[in-house]
Amino acid sequence: MRIVVLVKPVPDTASGGERLRPDDWRLDRQAIPTVVNANDEYALEAALKLTEAHGGEVVLVSMAGAGAPDTMRKALAMGAASGALVTDDALAGSDIVSTARVLAGALRDMEYDLVLAGADTSDGGAGVVPAGIATLLGLPYLSYAAKIEPNPDAGTVRVNRITPTGYEVLEASMPALIVATQALGEPRYPSLKGIMAARSKTLETKGLADIGAGDAPVGGAVATTAVLGSEAPPPRAATRVIREPADEAARQVVEFLAERRII
Amino acid sequence: MASSTPPPASSESHPAPTYRLTEDQLALRDAVRVLAADRIAPRAAEIDRTAEFPWDVKELLASHDILSLPYPEQYGGLGGDLLTVCLAVEEISRVCATSGLILAVQELASLPLLLAGTDEQKDRWFPDLAAGRKLIAFALTEAEAGSDVAAARTRARRDGDGDGADWILDGSKRFISQGSVADLLAVFAVTADDDDTPRHERLTCFIVDKDMPGFGVERIEHKMGIRGSPTAELSFRGVRVPDANRVGGVGEGFPLTMRTLDRSRPGIAAQAVGIAQGALDVAAAYARERTQFGKPIAEFQMIAAMLADMDAQTEAARQLLYKAATEIDAGAPDASRWSAMCKLVAGDTAMRVTTDAVQVLGGYGYINEFPVERMMRDAKITQLYEGTQQIQRLVIARALTARR
Amino acid sequence: MAGSGAGAIWVHGELAPGGSLAKISAEVATLARTIGEAAGRDVVGVVVGADPAVAAAELATYVPRVLTVTEPATAEHAAGTIVGQRVAALIEREQPAYLLTGAGPEGRDLAGVVSALADWGVLVNAVGVTWDDRPVVSMSIFGGRLTTTSRFTGDHGIVTVRPNAVTAAPAAAPGTVEATTVDGELALPLVPIVERLEAAGVAAPIEEARIIVAGGRGVGGPDGFKIVNELAEALGGAVGATRAAVDSGWIPYAQQIGQTGKIVKPALYLALGISGAIQHKVGMQTAGTIVAVNRDPDAPIAEFADVVVIGDLFEVAPALLAALRARAG
Repeated sequence: MRIVVLVKPVPDTASGGERLRPDDWRLDRQAIPTVVNANDEYALEAALKLTEAHGGEVVLVSMAGAGAPDTMRKALAMGAASGALVTDDALAGSDIVSTARVLAGALRDMEYDLVLAGADTSDGGAGVVPAGIATLLGLPYLSYAAKIEPNPDAGTVRVNRITPTGYEVLEASMPALIVATQALGEPRYPSLKGIMAARSKTLETKGLADIGAGDAPVGGAVATTAVLGSEAPPPRAATRVIREPADEAARQVVEFLAERRII
Repeated sequence: MASSTPPPASSESHPAPTYRLTEDQLALRDAVRVLAADRIAPRAAEIDRTAEFPWDVKELLASHDILSLPYPEQYGGLGGDLLTVCLAVEEISRVCATSGLILAVQELASLPLLLAGTDEQKDRWFPDLAAGRKLIAFALTEAEAGSDVAAARTRARRDGDGDGADWILDGSKRFISQGSVADLLAVFAVTADDDDTPRHERLTCFIVDKDMPGFGVERIEHKMGIRGSPTAELSFRGVRVPDANRVGGVGEGFPLTMRTLDRSRPGIAAQAVGIAQGALDVAAAYARERTQFGKPIAEFQMIAAMLADMDAQTEAARQLLYKAATEIDAGAPDASRWSAMCKLVAGDTAMRVTTDAVQVLGGYGYINEFPVERMMRDAKITQLYEGTQQIQRLVIARALTARR
Repeated sequence: MAGSGAGAIWVHGELAPGGSLAKISAEVATLARTIGEAAGRDVVGVVVGADPAVAAAELATYVPRVLTVTEPATAEHAAGTIVGQRVAALIEREQPAYLLTGAGPEGRDLAGVVSALADWGVLVNAVGVTWDDRPVVSMSIFGGRLTTTSRFTGDHGIVTVRPNAVTAAPAAAPGTVEATTVDGELALPLVPIVERLEAAGVAAPIEEARIIVAGGRGVGGPDGFKIVNELAEALGGAVGATRAAVDSGWIPYAQQIGQTGKIVKPALYLALGISGAIQHKVGMQTAGTIVAVNRDPDAPIAEFADVVVIGDLFEVAPALLAALRARAG
């Protein structure tokens, strides 16, 4: 099987230092270290497990800034075979419409059985781009997967989609696009040999001209949405610290909840 | 003293190698750091409390190829140089000194094979060692032969005539790190004790398999620190060892131990630097968060000064370690001196910094709710093993006077 | 009024399991009605499903007019792509200006499909929407450290709205429901549902809960979640968890709150044995009231909780349970 995993380098939320650029309110991607988007790591882990079980290889596709290769190497170190990065100055500030078009364009010339995407990204948080890509490419779309079971001989794949009451078991022919969730299992840590091997893996960089993103213009210049400004939310009130024996502490908490009319 | 002498002679005899961590080294270091912080740090307190060898951590190090670092690529290793191995030991020891020692001991005990082993021996043992399927320990020290290595009493005698005859080992070894969990042991035994043989030509190195009849673990020591790393007393009662397990020539064991220790002491220095950094991490975080008299204690000058000294000393020890490892990797003729200096400085630094970390945390530093008391106990061993600090000074002083 | 009004504000009526209106849609409809009044524009609900009647009637209690499309295919196929195609076709015909939908899985699937088919931009995860010539959308980013305001650069777009952004409130007078039809084949591949599995212990969707009792690493294991469950039950709330607890297999992923899980905004968030690392904080810090029980006084959660009890959760939580039960009589 050949599986494409969509990955996005995002600011490391653990650093707590993300900020917007004051001039255009775009995310300041230079300000702090980037990491592979956490949900994409779950997608990658799922893809790696599938190729380990069924053979084949995992290929990364990303649309990101020129600094992305360092971050993509981390994903290659986990076990992906190669990667393609679409990067272009014109793409800075792209909105959801452009992002879906560009990624669909990058996928259009590739061969694959499955495309896996993370449920959302920690920076944009939209969670709508994968559905857009599937729509543009006319791929079967299977979202919120807790389990993925391909049947390569039949050319089909089954997915347990999480619903409020359990799961829908979906079946589609391949190629298909699947949105992965954390329920698929914890991502592996790259091994040292994986890291060394990643340094010589192919990471192809493509410009906008190299992919078939369609006739409509894409990129920051034609963004359909714009940020007007930002402000810090009002700070929460000071924390009340209770250091009492359990019974007294419980009494004070219940009293507090009653005062706030929560109970 | 040599206060007016120009810088070390090494720069005269060969070009001084410079170091700057390569991208590979940085990538490997960062990967080990993340793994250690996420997967080993949460185990550290329990490993210390139970004093049980952390097999899960050993598996973790094996599955992520960390144990393969010291071995050549042809045996499934990563062919890491000494500096890279030290980076890994440092990062692991930053969160758990016991776990850091797993790699340090694997490297130490493989060095006789790396330095003097035949291709056949390397083929036989390195793939399993590099994959972490087998552990190896270094059995040199005896109850009466600590710093005085050549005073060893464990004997090996030929069973029969001829060059290929088996050897029979008798004796005991003490303070053997991981001696009870290792599959293989690099054992140094006396093969000639007649008065005609000089002391430094009496020892020979053998690889003993734990399954060989006559080998036994007598007891495990109760220790102050690195409690998860079993320190064993081993006995050899007529253990039959094939001549094919002899590493290096007969009588060449003593110089082999010296060459081994030249390359292994930086591993202990790395463990020490890691322990110091780990304690500094905790102390600095605590000082920022702990409020007394209405402000974080980090803002009190006496605490700030302590933290500054801890940081400066740790960094100084680290840079000496990296330089020493670089010199040794480059084949410096005064490897012993670099090796002894980095362990001396790093060991003392670890002891001082961890002690100060306990001080910064006050009463909290003295109880096991915080890891600094463990780190302080762990630090002490770095001043003792693979040559006490006194031995390191001796080595350094000898190198100094030998230059004349 | 003949059509549904060019330039109208549309609300997607999401179906809950069983065919009723999802709670999030009632909230989104209330929000849409508020900005519709400010903008002087029509507000129209749209419900697509195999049996849209019940949800449509509910939605009509919030907005003056609801369009329904009966689409049998959604009964046996993954609905997102189908509903998206029908809504996109309706949009092309009726020419509304904006579509509001929930920011949950169904709303996101819909937004992605409609965005691609209609070339509409999407503003996501709104915590508030006002009107100033166009919708002005507030979003909480960087784990709540910043609130941004955004707008569309053109005259149309999709907004996904977070749960609990507003409190659902019915309109003064109920609206009308009109069935309509959309011609045309469903061009995108149908994905059949071959089986439905009930998962034990999946309670009310955690994003919609008014009270959440959540457990973290400090809970220690699956057994530790017993007291978390009991407290949630006593408070009439849902059970949540941190990534550490989920990855350890103590509790299903559906309950996870934080960066890779759900974003919640309950009235009360009771955190047991949760340190409050940034990855968790981003999922719950906009809760109305945060109460934490933690052994470590220096845990990050102590910085942003309203109340923090320093102590052993296995002592404090049972005491709390007893106190709540005593109060309830």
